[in-house]
This record gives sequence, C-alpha cells and structure tokens, in this order.
Amino acid sequence: MKKNRTMILAFILPTVFCLLFMYVYPVVRTVIMSFFQVESLTSDTSAWTFNGLANYAKIMGSSGFQLAMKNMMLIWLVGGLITLALSMLMAVILTSGIRGSKFFKAAIYMPNIVSAVALATMWVQYIFNYDYGLLNEIVQLFGGEKVKWLGLDLKFWAMLAAFIFGSVGYYMLIYISGIEGIPRDLYEAATLDGASKVSQFSKITMPLMKGIIKTSITFWSINATTFFLWTKMFSPVNTEGSTIVPVVYLYDIVFGGKGIIERDAGAGAAVGVVLTLIIIAVYAIMNLTLKDSDLEY
Amino acid sequence: MANYHEKINWKKEAKLLPGYLIVTTWVVFAAVMLFWILAASLSTSREIFTGTVLEFKSGLHWENYATAWNSQNVSVFFANSLLYSVTASAGVLLISAPAAYVLSRWKFVGSKPIRLGLVIAMSVPAIMIIMPLYSLAVQWGIKGRILLIVLYIMLRVPYTTIYLVDFFSTLSRSYEEAAYLDGCSPMRTFWKIMLPLVQPAVITVTIFNFLSVWNEFFMALIFTSSESMTPVGVGLLQIVNAMKYSGNYGAMFAAVIIVFLPTFLLYIFLSEKIIAGVTGGGVKG
Amino acid sequence: MKKILAMLLAVVMVFGLAACGGDTAEETTPATTGQAQTATEPAEGKKYEGVELTMWSMWGSGEPQALVIEEAAAAFEAETGAKVNIEWKGRDINTLLSAALESGEKFDIFEDDYQRIATTYVDYTYDLTAMAEAAGYADYSYACFNDQVVEWAGFLNSIVEQPQIGGVFYDKAAFETAGIASVPTTWAEFLDACAKLKEAGIAPLALDGAYAYFTFYHHLVRYMGEDALQEVAMNGGWSDSAAVTAAQEIIDFVNAGYLVEGAPDEYPASQNKVGLGQAAMVVCANYVTTEVDNAVGAIDWGFFNYPEVEGCVDSSAYAGANSLAITSYTENAQAAFDFIQYMTTGTYGQKLVDNCGQIPADARLTESVLVGSVETLKNSTAPMSWCGATNANSDLAQSFKDAFNGLYAGKYESGEAFCAALDALY
Repeated sequence: MKKNRTMILAFILPTVFCLLFMYVYPVVRTVIMSFFQVESLTSDTSAWTFNGLANYAKIMGSSGFQLAMKNMMLIWLVGGLITLALSMLMAVILTSGIRGSKFFKAAIYMPNIVSAVALATMWVQYIFNYDYGLLNEIVQLFGGEKVKWLGLDLKFWAMLAAFIFGSVGYYMLIYISGIEGIPRDLYEAATLDGASKVSQFSKITMPLMKGIIKTSITFWSINATTFFLWTKMFSPVNTEGSTIVPVVYLYDIVFGGKGIIERDAGAGAAVGVVLTLIIIAVYAIMNLTLKDSDLEY
Repeated sequence: MANYHEKINWKKEAKLLPGYLIVTTWVVFAAVMLFWILAASLSTSREIFTGTVLEFKSGLHWENYATAWNSQNVSVFFANSLLYSVTASAGVLLISAPAAYVLSRWKFVGSKPIRLGLVIAMSVPAIMIIMPLYSLAVQWGIKGRILLIVLYIMLRVPYTTIYLVDFFSTLSRSYEEAAYLDGCSPMRTFWKIMLPLVQPAVITVTIFNFLSVWNEFFMALIFTSSESMTPVGVGLLQIVNAMKYSGNYGAMFAAVIIVFLPTFLLYIFLSEKIIAGVTGGGVKG
Repeated sequence: MKKILAMLLAVVMVFGLAACGGDTAEETTPATTGQAQTATEPAEGKKYEGVELTMWSMWGSGEPQALVIEEAAAAFEAETGAKVNIEWKGRDINTLLSAALESGEKFDIFEDDYQRIATTYVDYTYDLTAMAEAAGYADYSYACFNDQVVEWAGFLNSIVEQPQIGGVFYDKAAFETAGIASVPTTWAEFLDACAKLKEAGIAPLALDGAYAYFTFYHHLVRYMGEDALQEVAMNGGWSDSAAVTAAQEIIDFVNAGYLVEGAPDEYPASQNKVGLGQAAMVVCANYVTTEVDNAVGAIDWGFFNYPEVEGCVDSSAYAGANSLAITSYTENAQAAFDFIQYMTTGTYGQKLVDNCGQIPADARLTESVLVGSVETLKNSTAPMSWCGATNANSDLAQSFKDAFNGLYAGKYESGEAFCAALDALY
C-alpha cells in the first residue's frame, strides 16, 4: 500500500500537538519550575528566581510532606497488597464456575463508575459513623464495644479500607481477563494429575499472569501517588496529618488551604517531580524484577 | 464462564461454597450501604443522628430531594457534566481515530516516538501537568466550559489512540486495496470503510471515555472557577459541604442519590460494554 | 444491545446539544452588558445608572446568606440603578482569588476571611479608609477587627460582613437541670460545673476532632499568651513552658470522664449531641449554634468565654470575620462600597442576622441569637486568633493538630509526655 504523506500528516498532527501541548510542555515547565523560587502559580517567568535544590530541601524538611510521604507509602504497600490479593481472590472465585458470575462481576466493579465523592460520603457519613454507623452496629451485634473508626488512630485505615473497597473491582476485572486467557486444558490436565486447586493456582495461574500482575502493580502505583479525593473527603474541615498525602500537600501549598497563608508554587512543582520519579522508579523495578516470561502455551 | 445451563451438581456447588460466601458478603455489604443511604435520604437529620432511619416515624421526606435539587444548581451541574462528557468523548475520537489508523498502518518518521509518547503520557500524573496549564489558562484568559472541554479531550487522547491502534491493526489490508481499486481516496476510505469496521471498539472506548470524564474530579476542582461551569462531582462536594454547614443531612444523602442514580442506571444497561472497555485497552499498557 | 446503546447515545447527544445551546445563550449575556458599562455614562435620575458591579461570593447559591445578598442586590439596583452581578464561588473561593486578582480579572467586590484579605490579597485591595470615614463606619463597626486589619494591611481594606466569636457554647436547659446558677469563669469553676453536669447524667463537653486543635489552643493561650506560644511553636521548648501544666489539666479533664461518648468524634457527630441533649457544652465559634439547630432541632444556647486558668496570662476570646473587600483596579469603588454598606447594614444587615443566625455586622442592629455577643465584641480589643500562633509554624501545624487531637483522645500519659512528643518534632 502506498504511503500518503499528506494524509499521514493530517491524521497524526492533532495527536502530536496534543502530546506536545498537554504533556511535553507542562512536564518540562514543571520540572524547570521546581528549581526556581516561584511564589504564585500565575506569576510571570521573569519573576522566577533560580534557587537550585532549595525547593526540594524545603519539602524534604517539611513535616507535612514527610507525613504525606509516609501515608502514601502505606497506601501503596499495605493498600496494594490487600487490594491486589483481594482482587486476585475475587477473580479466581468468579472464574471457578460459580453461578451468577456475570452479576457478581458487575456488582463488584460498580463502585468504579460511581462518583467517588458520592461513594466517600457514604463511607464517612454512614459506614464509619460512631453512633449509627453500619460497622458499629455489627460490632455491637457481636457484643463488642463501639469503635471510633474515624478517630485519630483508625482514620487513616478507615480511609484506606474505603478506598480498597472501591478499587478491588477494577483489578479483579484485569485479573479475570488474564485468567480467561489461560487455556482450560492446562487446568484439566493438572486436575487429572491430581494437583490441588491451590497448587494449580501457584503453579499455573500465577506464573502465566506475571505480565498482568506487573501491569496491575504499575497501575496501583499511579493510583497511590495521585491519591487525592479520598483525603479531601475524610478530612473535610481542613487537612489533617493522619490522612494527608503528597497531592493534598501540593494542593495546599500551591492553591492555599485553610489557615495557610504563604504559598509556594516552586515547592509544589518539586512535589510533582518527586512523585513522578517514584512512578518511574516503580516502573523500572517492575521491568527488572518481573521480566515478562515468554512462556508458550 | 459456565454460561451453559447444566443440572445443578451439588457436589461441585458445595466445593464452591466458600467462594459464594465471599462474593455474596461483598455484594450484600454494598447493597446494605446503598439501601441505608436511600432510607436516610428520606429521613430528617434528627432521625439520622438518633439512629432511627429505618423506622420512618415522621413519614417519608421526599422534600429532601427538592431541597437538594434547589439548594444549588444541580441541573446546571448535570448539564455541564453531560456537555463535558459528550463533547470530550466525541472530540477525542476526531483526534484519536485518524491517528490510531495511520499509526497502525504505516511506519513513518516519528511513528515510534509518538507511540511511545502516548504510552508514557497515559501514566503521567495529573499534578505534573496542571500547574503550567493553569497558568497558561490564566495568562490567555481562557475560562468557562470551553477550557475544561479542551482539557478533557486532550486528557483522553493517549488512552483512546492506543486502544484504537490495536483494533485497526487487526483489520485486513484487503479492504483498503479494494477501495483503492474502486478509486476511493485514502481519506475517504478511512471515514467510510475503516472507521465503521472498528465500530464496536469505538463504542466501547467512547463509553469508557464518557464515564471517566463524568467522574473526573481533580482537574474539575482546579479549573472550575464559577458555578456555571461546575460538573457533578465537584458540585456534589459543594452540596455536601453546604448541607453539612446548614445541618440538613437528609438532603445531603438525597444529593448523593441524585448524583449516583444516573450513572447507576447507565451501568445497568451497559455493564458488559464497560467491563470490556476496562480489560481491552488498559491491560496491554 | 446495540440498539439500546444507539438510542442512549442519541438521547445523550440531544441533551448535550441542548446544554450547548443553553451555554452560548448564557455566555453572551454578560459579555454584551459588560460593553454597555463602559459605553454609558451615569445618566440623570438614579445615582449609579448604568454602573455594573461584579461580586465574587464565598457562598453557594441557595444558601441562606446567598438569598439575602441576592435580595439586597435587587433592591440596590432598584434604588440606585447599579446592577450587581453575583458569582457564587463557594467556600473554596480562596483557591481562586489569588490567581484571579493577580491576572486582573474583572470583578469589584469579593468575600473571604478578613485575615486573608488583609495579608494574602492586600496588594490588590482598595484602600477604604476615606470612604469608611465619610460613612462613619467606625461608629457602628467593631474596633477590634478594624485595628487588626490596619495592623496587618497598613490600611483599612475590608468591611466586616459576618463577625464571629469563639468560646464555650452551652445548652441553657442542661445547666438548669444540673443546677448550675452562673456560668463558670475560671477553670476550677468550669470543672465544678462539669462534675455537676456529669452527676445529672449529661456529658459535660462535646468535641469533634476538627475542633480539638482550636479547643486546646484556648488553654495554651490562657497559660502563655499568643506571643510566647508562637515563640515555642516556632523554636520548640514545649517541655520548659507552661504547656506542660496546660496539657496535664486536659489529661485530667479527659480522665475525669468529662467528654461525651465518642469524642473526639468526626465532625459534626459530637457537636450535634449538644442539640440532642446528650452533652452540655462545646468549644467552637458561634456558627456552631446554627449548625446544630438546623441538624437536630433548636435549643436555647448560652455563651461564655473560655475559662481563665490560675495565673492567667491572656483571657481574650477568639474573634474573626468574613469580610468584603474591593479590588484595587475597580472603576466603581464608591458604588461598590455603597453596595457593601447596603447589604451589611439596615434592612439587609438585619436579614443576614435573622435568616442566617449570625452576629450583626452593624452594631446598631438587633441581635437574634446569642444576645450579648455584640457587647462582647465591642469591648474586645485584641482578640485571640484562630490558632494563629501554632499555624505560624506551617511545617509543623499538621503535627500540632494531630497531637492536640491525641491529647483529648487520651494518647498521652502526662503533660510531660505530651510536651516531650512535641519537642521531638523539631
């Protein structure tokens, strides 16, 4: 087939423009901005003054940012382990031949299509409520003492639990499509050989899904680093140390949160760069450790 | 899986019992939550705070819905979300479909970096790009709905393009050859023949784009500068806050239901398509 | 399936187009009228004929304050001919204002916290001194706010719209049941009142986690004063300060069981318990009364200043305000000022008081709730800030909040342990 230069150009240019305008330019500018003293986001570039790594030093030394990073790491690690394990469990159950799997699949995925603001409101105002919340009703049913789910100690975990509940459906779908890609006869042969369900899972399912697990970890890492809305919903009056995450920290110093008078867009850019580096690092580590196995089946 | 009707094999079902238990618990939990929110949306604040929501002692308070709807311009929020979702998912197709087509058909200078760039762009966190975009928008004085429409279109381009490239590459080249012999210009061939051939993929990706834009929150929060351009997500947050300040919890839950319902109904009809959209494009990313 | 989908998409498209239609219609109106503003000079007849003002409000449309302001704008137009366009920006207005002011966005009046107006936006605000003097503003406003503004900004740059006072708000009926004759003024009397309340079966104090910071801040200020507190907050040294005693007293208070069940709770669960008759008092600003009344039904509220401690250094009460300011680049400063006056005083000032349960911005108006607060504000000279001394250390403010919250949650063994934990942050 002949190459048609005009057509290729006409067809590809809008996308190239979009890449340059929406991604390349902003990313480059943000990186540059992170090395400058910039008070207001809208100030002219002539008002920027170079200050080297001072922005990075500032955020690294700020206890708010340290707390935010700690929380983010917990979300990434603990939340990630639980979410991915639960999703895998759900995926295995729903592909084990149970009835109504279509319905369950749709029901478990549902939180993903609902406005997260609505979802978070349900959790904060109902499930975790001390006086009339569902969890405390259940706890009391079993004769337990009411628990302060949104108190200082548990709030972070409550938020994480709510977030996990909403996320599981997505990763479950990814895993289901992975499991469905594995030929049935492999399992049938294994069953004939007398392999248990558990050993089938660890010997067949897991190794063949390496690539998909890798993808899901990368996605989760992006989710964890860009965590924002749930913190906003779980600390409604103003940002709290127990739930702060880097993006909320950034939002507060760039746009000004309650009680915050000094603004610093340069430091905000530095936060953005740090988060991006983390994503890149995770991506690189994934590629090094979990090499796509080229198993033929 | 197991869609064919077979006789209930009790032995087999018994083995699956733990699985049934787990998924059922999960779904029942979600159902209880929804049911309670629905009940609370028909109760007074006092009933909510004294834990007597399910008794409906003072009757059903449908007026909570009126309060929630009238307190702020909920209809404007919905119209905005609809506008953003529809124009963005249509606009992105105009940009992405042609690009995906040429990317899948020809190797040319820059085709590889462009593909790579699109994949990378999919994982660039929003916070890396919003700050410069914000200052540009302020500098150029762009505001109002058009700003969010343009941003949403560009935001969805990488995902949509990558998704469609895969589908175009599955099409046989014989279509184009036949069209060429018939004297059809390549551009015409694309719009009249090739694009309709990937219609299922286009529909799936459109539904997916529609929902992502509908539920987008971060950009909406930052770029929304007036009530007249607020979409439902941010609007709901405002309503929830206002209802909290004015202590009207029944209306707050009513607002949650009002926002929840349309996507929920849409989902009942389209769940299969949506689920296909999740597993189709993203996994290969 | 496909048909349903096609139909749905079609419906969606129609709606989308309808939305587009509405969109363009709306967008064109302000643009055209905006041109009229510069074209027509004030004609004879009404004072501000042809003048157009734009106001950025911190309320959402439909809120009680918004309804009153809308009404005031309509009446103002009828009277003077000046049209006031109000854009409802909501409480997150502060995230928009800086950028908008810096880029010279066209608006004349805006609302926000008076401290932010006097500090963050000061370069873009109009000097109201002359106009205020001509209007005799000082006679009916509160000196404590005006002095603060001048101290921060260097000139008067905002007019109070919604004054707030903080302290202990209580259910008068609960105090009666417990047989408390007069409101406590010292910490000892306060503890005494708590004991009586507890005996009567009413939990003394409700506390939401969101306000724990503010509540303990009072106690610290009583012992140290805001300047000394800021010094400690910036440089550490909590263990060598009176904060040890302050924290110990709170720990004893909590151990005595004077907090309502569940406290520190998730806002607003605990404060609502005052309205439900389960708790008697709450430390907050005056808007707590409206919030609780609306949520669970009205009660008869009383108010007293946060009690003094032994060797009290500073017994001032919190006072703050949401205020109105005029942009420095406005073309109609006098009209804008007149509108601000129009809505905060007289008929509409009174409506703000009556419909929104707020304290009068104009001291000549009649109070509808918390009678006596105007008097308190009038007499106040140097009000306490909203945690200003601890917020001054922006790096650690977050950790302070958590620590103060933990104090009420019973996380610390002793005042020493609490202060040691704070010092460990530096």
